[in-house]
Amino acid sequence: MINVKVARYLPEQSAAPFVQEFKVPYDASTSVLDALNYIKEELDPSLSFRWSCRMAICGSCGVMANGIPKLGCKVFLRDYEQGLLLEPLAHLPVERDLIVDMDAFLKHLEAVKPYLINNETTAVKSATTHQQTPAQLGKYKQFANCINCGLCYSACPQFGLNPEFLGPAAITLAHRYNLDSRDQGKAARMPLLNTAEGPWACTFVGFCSDVCPQQVDPAAAVNQSKVESAKDMLIQLFKGKL
Amino acid sequence: MKPETELKRSAEPIWWALFSAGGVCFAVFIPAAIVFLAMLLPLGVVELTYTQAQSWYFSIWGLMFTGAVVVLPLFHAGHRFRHGLHDLKVQQHTLVKVLCYGFASALSLLCLGLWCIGYFN
Ligand code: SF4
Ligand code: FES
Repeated sequence: MINVKVARYLPEQSAAPFVQEFKVPYDASTSVLDALNYIKEELDPSLSFRWSCRMAICGSCGVMANGIPKLGCKVFLRDYEQGLLLEPLAHLPVERDLIVDMDAFLKHLEAVKPYLINNETTAVKSATTHQQTPAQLGKYKQFANCINCGLCYSACPQFGLNPEFLGPAAITLAHRYNLDSRDQGKAARMPLLNTAEGPWACTFVGFCSDVCPQQVDPAAAVNQSKVESAKDMLIQLFKGKL
Repeated sequence: MKPETELKRSAEPIWWALFSAGGVCFAVFIPAAIVFLAMLLPLGVVELTYTQAQSWYFSIWGLMFTGAVVVLPLFHAGHRFRHGLHDLKVQQHTLVKVLCYGFASALSLLCLGLWCIGYFN
């Protein structure tokens, strides 16, 4: 048995959040998500949390496990024999128990125009295939592995200080499309990346890359975006547009 | 999120460029300067007379030395202080900016001024 403490917030019952303790049986293959499901099915059906795939691909089961953002289905009780405290993802508003409001995060993702932009007409688009060499794919492939779990936003102290900061995943997504040989939308994305709320709010803490379950390395994308933004400034300067 | 037409370009690339250049200087030139000035010289391993030092420093090399060992590292340190204070939740961003970069600029100007006096005399 492992003591699993869970941060509870039930707005209709009490205004203040509280911590509830459960004893959960486990073996070598019991994930933290399994533990939450055990609690819900066997001990307290009122517990709320998000999950779907159980295999670290849908990105919905993010929680703070002893203060570190983790995917519940990717970490195991066997690694928390000293005890485990589960809390909702940090830096996002809590709706109920372990469920946070991801709106701010999703708005930031949308804001960077995360889709291929080019001047081709729809007719041309449907008639042609866009071939890419392995080298062209290699440029952005790592950054395309994001599953939008939001763990990096919980890890980022700058997002915690300023929720207007675009944040690791959104900047990574912008960078991913900017690096794509099929895309011509960089000019449309740069104005947002050039603001103080773009990569410039990052002080290279790097914790986002530590917690990312997909090894996307958002910190690298953010810092490469700083170089892009600096280049953009120089180019506009030479063009006399600044 | 602000509407696209209200997006304002940040001046951060300028400070960041100074910060990066200063970081390189901190890593490369400052240790060399410390080894030379604070270790080899006092230990008597190398010798440098006052006249030698003076004629070397008040040449174009001295200007480069000032840039690499004083000016750029000052802006690097100023940038770090500024962001460090932000992390410590000091909210007066403009004041902090003026103080950090102001201090770096003032000391830089002082050094460059001294160099100019020596060079043009
Ligand atoms: S970059 Fe990594 S941590 Fe951030 S949302 Fe994407 S997968 Fe999650
Ligand atoms: S349940 Fe889908 S990522 Fe954990």
